[in-house]
Amino acid sequence: MFFIQFLKSSIGKKWIMACSGFCLILFLCSHAAGNATLFNSIPLFQAYADQLHSHPLIISVLSKALSLVFVIHTTTGVLLFLQNRKARSTGYKVQKRAVKYSQASRTMIFSGLFILLYVLAHTYAVSFGDHATIGLTISYLFSSPLVVLFYITSFIVLAIHLSHGFWSMLQTFGVNHPRYNKLIRNLTYIVPIFFLLIFSAISLLFIF
Amino acid sequence: MSTTSINLSLEIWRQKDSKAKGDFETYKLTNISTDMSFLEMLDVLNEQLTREGSDPVAFDHDCREGICGMCGAVINGIAHGPEPETTLCQLHMRHFNEGDTLVIEPFRSRAFPIHKDLVTDRSALDRIIQAGGYVSVNTGGTPDGNSTPIPSATAELSMDAASCIGCGACVASCPNGAAMLFTGAKISQLSLLPQGQPERKERAMAMVTAMDKEGFGNCTNERECEAVCPKGISIRNIARMNREFVKASFF
Amino acid sequence: MELKSNVPEGPLAEKWDNHRFTSKLVNPANRRKHSIIVIGTGLAGASASATLAEQGYEVKTFCIQDSPRRAHSIAAQGGINAAKNYQNDGDSIQRLFYDTIKGGDFRSREANVYRLAQVSNNIIDQCVAQGVPFAREYGGTLANRSFGGAQVSRTFYARGQTGQQLLLGAYSALSRQIKTGKVTMHTRKEMMELVLVDGKARGIVTRDIITGKLETYSADAVILATGGYGNAYFLSTNAMASNVTAAWRAHKKGAGFANPCFVQIHPTCIPVHGSFQSKLTLMSESLRNDGRVWVPTKPGDTRRPGSIPEDERDYYLESKYPGFGNLVPRDVASRNAKEQCDEGKGVGTTNLAVYLDFAEAISRDGEATILRKYGNLFQMYEKITDSNPLREPMMIYPAVHYTMGGLWVDYNLMTTIPGLFAIGECNFSDHGANRLGASALMQGLADGYFIIGTSIASYLGSTKQDAVDSDHPQFSDAKKQVQGRIDKLLDCNESGPDGKLTVDEIHKELGLLLWDHCGMARNKEGLEKALTELPAIQEKFWNNVYIPGTGEELNQSLERAGRLADFLEFAEIMILDALNREESCGCHLREESQTEDNEAKRDDAGYSHVAVWEYQGDRGAPKLHKEQLLFENVTPSQRSYK
Repeated sequence: MFFIQFLKSSIGKKWIMACSGFCLILFLCSHAAGNATLFNSIPLFQAYADQLHSHPLIISVLSKALSLVFVIHTTTGVLLFLQNRKARSTGYKVQKRAVKYSQASRTMIFSGLFILLYVLAHTYAVSFGDHATIGLTISYLFSSPLVVLFYITSFIVLAIHLSHGFWSMLQTFGVNHPRYNKLIRNLTYIVPIFFLLIFSAISLLFIF
Repeated sequence: MSTTSINLSLEIWRQKDSKAKGDFETYKLTNISTDMSFLEMLDVLNEQLTREGSDPVAFDHDCREGICGMCGAVINGIAHGPEPETTLCQLHMRHFNEGDTLVIEPFRSRAFPIHKDLVTDRSALDRIIQAGGYVSVNTGGTPDGNSTPIPSATAELSMDAASCIGCGACVASCPNGAAMLFTGAKISQLSLLPQGQPERKERAMAMVTAMDKEGFGNCTNERECEAVCPKGISIRNIARMNREFVKASFF
Repeated sequence: MELKSNVPEGPLAEKWDNHRFTSKLVNPANRRKHSIIVIGTGLAGASASATLAEQGYEVKTFCIQDSPRRAHSIAAQGGINAAKNYQNDGDSIQRLFYDTIKGGDFRSREANVYRLAQVSNNIIDQCVAQGVPFAREYGGTLANRSFGGAQVSRTFYARGQTGQQLLLGAYSALSRQIKTGKVTMHTRKEMMELVLVDGKARGIVTRDIITGKLETYSADAVILATGGYGNAYFLSTNAMASNVTAAWRAHKKGAGFANPCFVQIHPTCIPVHGSFQSKLTLMSESLRNDGRVWVPTKPGDTRRPGSIPEDERDYYLESKYPGFGNLVPRDVASRNAKEQCDEGKGVGTTNLAVYLDFAEAISRDGEATILRKYGNLFQMYEKITDSNPLREPMMIYPAVHYTMGGLWVDYNLMTTIPGLFAIGECNFSDHGANRLGASALMQGLADGYFIIGTSIASYLGSTKQDAVDSDHPQFSDAKKQVQGRIDKLLDCNESGPDGKLTVDEIHKELGLLLWDHCGMARNKEGLEKALTELPAIQEKFWNNVYIPGTGEELNQSLERAGRLADFLEFAEIMILDALNREESCGCHLREESQTEDNEAKRDDAGYSHVAVWEYQGDRGAPKLHKEQLLFENVTPSQRSYK
């Protein structure tokens, strides 16, 4: 079938990465917006969480869909990594890149796996607990500087991942035009830094 | 033009044939004029090897003016060497310094098996073109050249893509051994022109499918291809191919 | 050897039509029963392969590079001529015809040149339809420029890469036929021998460049599209692999070789800067529009150009040719540059260069204007020489560029061997004694796209021949001969490399001999000297060359040696032809044939003919035949640039 064929093609796989990545960015936006309630107060955040959990649709469908997207993004990423290693099975003696500042694109698989680790830890600590007391769970968690450090490290890794991922997603979608490339280049800085700042600020709220 | 001479140490990949297991060999070259091109430097090495009775280094080359796309090797980790938008034959030794060690490796990719030393088999690129990199017109019976006006800017964009010399440096430099820039350039050239419209979808489908079949890797947008391309072909052409392929797949 | 030009009856403008009408055809259903071999995938070879396959023939195409797209047509920069008259500036088929035949100094066949001008327009249409991105005007119509001194703007171009774009167009048409299976493409295979059966060309022997395996292929006709022989001079603007082998093999089997001494030497190349130099790079002639050519008046002046005062500079072209100045034609510019260098006034490290100075143009028009015109050329020059032409004059020197001579062909592009055709630079047919700028691409594509199809049908339709396959004894004999030649080459290396010479060392020696005595200006004495010195080089090659490795592997030294062996034999008829042509014409000055003011003097009474050489076996001296040239529609006129 044409759809399966598309997905199996090299460009199809790029699209899977880009589309799932796009969904994950949207999720990050909503997550950031929800968590921003913490800037106001813990009870407001608790109220937001209660609201969220009062919608069966969100719990039963959206959260599962999100997990699915996450799994797709991760497995396709790992699959691509393995496939691509085979396509260039013999490396060069001198490993050198012609592109300056290619650290982010070079390390996508590693930053990705680190984020996976973070997500597992984060869901274990937060989502599987009692959502009725999530406000307390969070303030307890973030009272430990070690946890905050782990979180902030993860956000930095996420920002690095996004600094390539966001631009890469647009490129895959075919958005590359001299008229907009400057804007896109700026966005590749703004988007990751935005998420880094907002999430880090939240985790730091509880220390100070 | 200031001519000086430098001494070099070369580490070159030597491999007897496609089945042999290759390895690096080190050679010393003295008194290399900085006015030489990189390939002339290899010529000097080969003359030296021949006089010693050893096997000269096999390397592909032909026009030596940067347009045929036959030459190419990876110099110290960079395809076609350190100068941007320059093929190996147009790279001059003045860009190197006294006492430098140059590691010279063949273009590597699963789709480019090695024949001997630095000579690789890039016929996979030809097969991508054969899959659809053309406009299906027979000789004769074509309309007057001016019957379809093409905006100058469009012709220039198409020409940007068409200037690909098919050297394969994009594949060699890609950490994934992908041929997206090569394929994207040809798809772009023809999709931009009115002459390419009738077969636009079939072409995108056929060429991408052929590319995948040849064993090239996937694109992860690392931009290495664009950085080493001797003709400065932009990855905008890959973006265009992505669009073309999606359109062809779904609509 | 009989030279029948087979020019069709009728008025000049109707000959091609008449010919197509009277030619035999092959029924479309029968075409698949005929196979055709094409050697070479440049403009002529690729376009011929594609066109014949489209028509239904089974085509086997061969090239020595790793891909058909590498052929040296790809390096042509300037453009392609056509008589479209899109600019409404008075161009016409008749004018393109006249310019081409006059440019060739009236040494080509009227009917062939007229046909070339006729089909030139179809070429542009064909290439546009293939998606060749020619330069366009803002309104979307095709752009033209004037080129090579033509008085009309008839040159179509795609930046400075016209050859590349046209070749890629032909390559794409070829690729399409490879996909359909009508063309079997053999890359990295070198034609080593032509095989004749019953006096007709029926196949070839090839060597697989990767494995060294000799193979035979049979067909009903063989087309050579193997380019020119400029590399006989070692240094030329040709690609490294360009060679005369295929044409020479055909010659030795009976194909006449026409005008081998007609070699075009291009005045504006980047000069040689050392003995290691492997090739020369051409720069567009347009540079002479604004650059002034000069040398120091004192021989051996080693000061930097900037410190040579104005009154110690010799602007020799301007003083000698006040009418045309720096814009004299290619051959005059080339010849004078060599003359100055021979007098010891050459500049640069090798003293083999003259200055091309833009200082005056820059002070007159400003840097910006000059850069707009020549920016990319200046860049290219700086890349190679590391010197900026805005600051310091360029250095230029002439270089061998194109060979007008080639296998003799009749109006059908068939050589003197039935069934063997030669197209593109490989034949002699259209450029006479000198080729106009932007005409090489035109001829290659005209032959391949529009002419060879008719010729092949006419030949196959009128020739009865039995099916032959490569088991035929002629094939195994030819293969044995080729093997013998390779063994003989490799024999030389049995005693090791000590005291021996490399292939390139001997090639350079041959190149120098030809350049000194059979270059732009020739004289009897020099040519006779060259003729006596040539056997020593040949002998040195066969006794003293060292070729490492074996014949059963990728062996680039062996490839070069095989080609050089043929160049060494071929050089003899080049020199003989030059010696025989006791007139100055086209590209060449024969020193004995000059006017009182040292200008080239053509001798129409004695030399208005094509000189065709016939091979007489290893011992016999080559035999000269003449095809008289008749000019019924134009009147040969003498050039004057004073």
